[in-house]
Amino acid sequence: MSRAAQAWLLGAVAVAALVAGVLLRPTPRGLAPSPVPEAAGATLLQTTLPDLAGTPQRLDQWKGKVLVVNFWATWCAPCRDEIPALVTLQRELGGQGLQVVGIAIDQLDKVRPYAAEMGINYPILIGELGAIDLARQAGNELGALPFTVVLDRNGHAVRGELGRVTEAKLAALVRPLL
Amino acid sequence: MTTGPMPSGRADARIALVALCAWLAAACAVWAQQPLPQSEATAVESASSAAGSASNAAGSGSSDGGGVVSRLRQFAGAQADAEPEFLPPEQAFKVRVTVRDAHTLAAEFVPAQGYYLYRDKIRFILPEGAPVSVAEVALPAGERKDDPNFGVTEVYHVPVRARVALARTDSAEQPIALEVRYQGCADQGLCYPPEKKVFNLLLAAAEPGAAPAAPVTDVPADESSLAAGILSAGDFWGVVASFFGFGLLLAFTPCVFPMIPILSGIIVGRGHQVTRRHAFTLSGVYVLGMAVTYALAGVAAGLTGTLLSNALQNPWVLGTFAGLFVVLALAMFGLYELQLPAALQSQLSNVSNRLKGGTFWGVFAMGVLSALIVGPCVAAPLAGALLYINQSRDALLGGSALFAMALGMGAPMIAVGVSAGALLPKAGAWMQTVKSFFGVVLLGLAIWIVSPVIPSVAHMLLWAALLIVSAIYLHAIDPLPHNASGFRKLWKGVGVIALLLGVALLVGALSGTRDILQPLSGLRVASGGASAASAEQPRFILVRSVQELERQLAQAGGRPAMLDFYADWCISCKEMERFTFTDPRVRSRMDRMLLLKADVTASAPEDLALLKRFGLFGPPGTLFFGPGGEQLPHRVIGFQDAERFAASLDAVLRAS
Repeated sequence: MSRAAQAWLLGAVAVAALVAGVLLRPTPRGLAPSPVPEAAGATLLQTTLPDLAGTPQRLDQWKGKVLVVNFWATWCAPCRDEIPALVTLQRELGGQGLQVVGIAIDQLDKVRPYAAEMGINYPILIGELGAIDLARQAGNELGALPFTVVLDRNGHAVRGELGRVTEAKLAALVRPLL
Repeated sequence: MTTGPMPSGRADARIALVALCAWLAAACAVWAQQPLPQSEATAVESASSAAGSASNAAGSGSSDGGGVVSRLRQFAGAQADAEPEFLPPEQAFKVRVTVRDAHTLAAEFVPAQGYYLYRDKIRFILPEGAPVSVAEVALPAGERKDDPNFGVTEVYHVPVRARVALARTDSAEQPIALEVRYQGCADQGLCYPPEKKVFNLLLAAAEPGAAPAAPVTDVPADESSLAAGILSAGDFWGVVASFFGFGLLLAFTPCVFPMIPILSGIIVGRGHQVTRRHAFTLSGVYVLGMAVTYALAGVAAGLTGTLLSNALQNPWVLGTFAGLFVVLALAMFGLYELQLPAALQSQLSNVSNRLKGGTFWGVFAMGVLSALIVGPCVAAPLAGALLYINQSRDALLGGSALFAMALGMGAPMIAVGVSAGALLPKAGAWMQTVKSFFGVVLLGLAIWIVSPVIPSVAHMLLWAALLIVSAIYLHAIDPLPHNASGFRKLWKGVGVIALLLGVALLVGALSGTRDILQPLSGLRVASGGASAASAEQPRFILVRSVQELERQLAQAGGRPAMLDFYADWCISCKEMERFTFTDPRVRSRMDRMLLLKADVTASAPEDLALLKRFGLFGPPGTLFFGPGGEQLPHRVIGFQDAERFAASLDAVLRAS
């Protein structure tokens, strides 16, 4: 075998090994963003949860607006990180038909002082741990937080974001829908 | 093998490149077996934001070695729309619980890279009303995380081991269902809901009369999690760079260094018409062959977990290494020449003759072979390196680190190859001196290696012998000639110091001292300094059995008591004795207690019974008893400095 042929052979083996390594790598389940299930929008809109005053609130009262549903908790640091972004978003785009709704996977006595402290200007519903299942139905297979679903004016879930999102990213997602 | 028509310079570069690719591919294939570290997600994400997609800019932005591979993966097109990927909770946090003994469980939490657990969210729960309950949980201190929302919290990014002490009302063997609760997050900005896992375990019958496990106030920091902490601190290149430096040092050890000229001679092949560039490539390919072999060892170390470290604690393995060092040392002293078997040698020279300046495959194969041959010679440092990697449980890092180490080892070889011998020091009489020096170092290494498995007398005597014999060779007791050179005087001085040290060790060992750091401490007490000595060392009463202990406790006379488990081979016991017990703050508190010591050096049945009585596996361990002889819930396991130990004593004195 000539040296050139050897080199090419070795190269081919290396490339093959590389490709095999890439392909054989186990893909973790639960890739983000998970494609939002077809029924996610409807499921969310049919949900009724108590607000901070204890009054049951049905999400479809905001149908017709662009809805940003944010699953969060006070014990989740990244969730707390993105609250100011949601507050800003509601303040700036609320007039154009945007509605942010927070669903807290948490207890009322923890959420109420926090909401006051942060000056949250959008409705917070108390879901406690049970609302994790709601998040799962909305496409959050890991049941992790924060999780944000964007619904268009027709109540169709456009996008699910797992993990911390920035204000810029949310705004970019939401603006075309307004 | 024939030489191809290709211009040799370009072919050389290509082959070196291809070898590098092969290594990367191998690393990639291994990495395929690993759970996805968070760093991949980071790298993928940053690549995507560079591509203009509105990606999460608030990411932690940490980048480490995974980035190279993941970028390769990018090119392979595996990820089109890149977003942070998150592991399912059961992969992000692995939990394992094992039964240590009738009163103790051990729980291990392993967060994936880039994930962390909150220390204060870890809970162990047994059903209410069951005959077994959780008495105390000991978790090592976590890494402090300053969270703008929660203030300072303690988190674990690295594997941790918790010890769960159980209280039992029923001593019969029984199954238990332990519920473990924990909660953690990803650095990437995601939290998992509180997790619950139930472990069904079988608890052995408790020894009748055994004390319910007392709470553990201190857990010695787990070395493996410590090493993992250093490694997963994200400084991938730092680790790789240190291993390169480490390899460079190894190149100057006695078994690698003499090989440099021989090997570069063979590789570059009698070096006539070899260009500098050609020599460089050939040496490079040789070093690559060596590096790939070491890298595989590193990968294996990363994958085998604790297997290797267990093997390296086996007396037979340690003994074999030590024996090997002795053989090598004797060769250094010129007792015999270490040579490859004649058949192999002629084979090798045949090959090298045929190679004539070397083809790449041959040189590569020689690199692989020489790694295997030199391997055992640098075994001790190599074993250390492998252990270190082994504890990081990261095959990619392991492979890369050892690859870098081999490159370091090969660097002088490349330099010599390129300089075509100009860089090599001239051989001469001084070489024999250097060889003898390395011989002594090797013998010292041999003693050091077996020291954990031999009695301390033997340990001291071996050092004494080595020091004294070396001193004689340094002419320590020969008179200096009238006009001795400066070097002669220097060596004589060194020799005299070695002689004195050796004599001190010999005298100490024979007079019953078992402390290699203070060989003459036994004499000090004997030679009348009794009052001074007792002012320094607190006076402990030795207890040899459970009965003796109880007798002593009954006579405590209203004082609380402290029972210290000690053994000659226990380093932290000695540290406690020397640095902690002698501290005035500690002394003043200890003076208010009855001081008992159990010397379990011999591991006699009574010693074991004492240890078992208190659920200890061995020293160090300090237990406390109230004035009435009842055991207090405080205990100190592992070394504590004076300040912390004084605080522990305060707690005991308050409680009693």
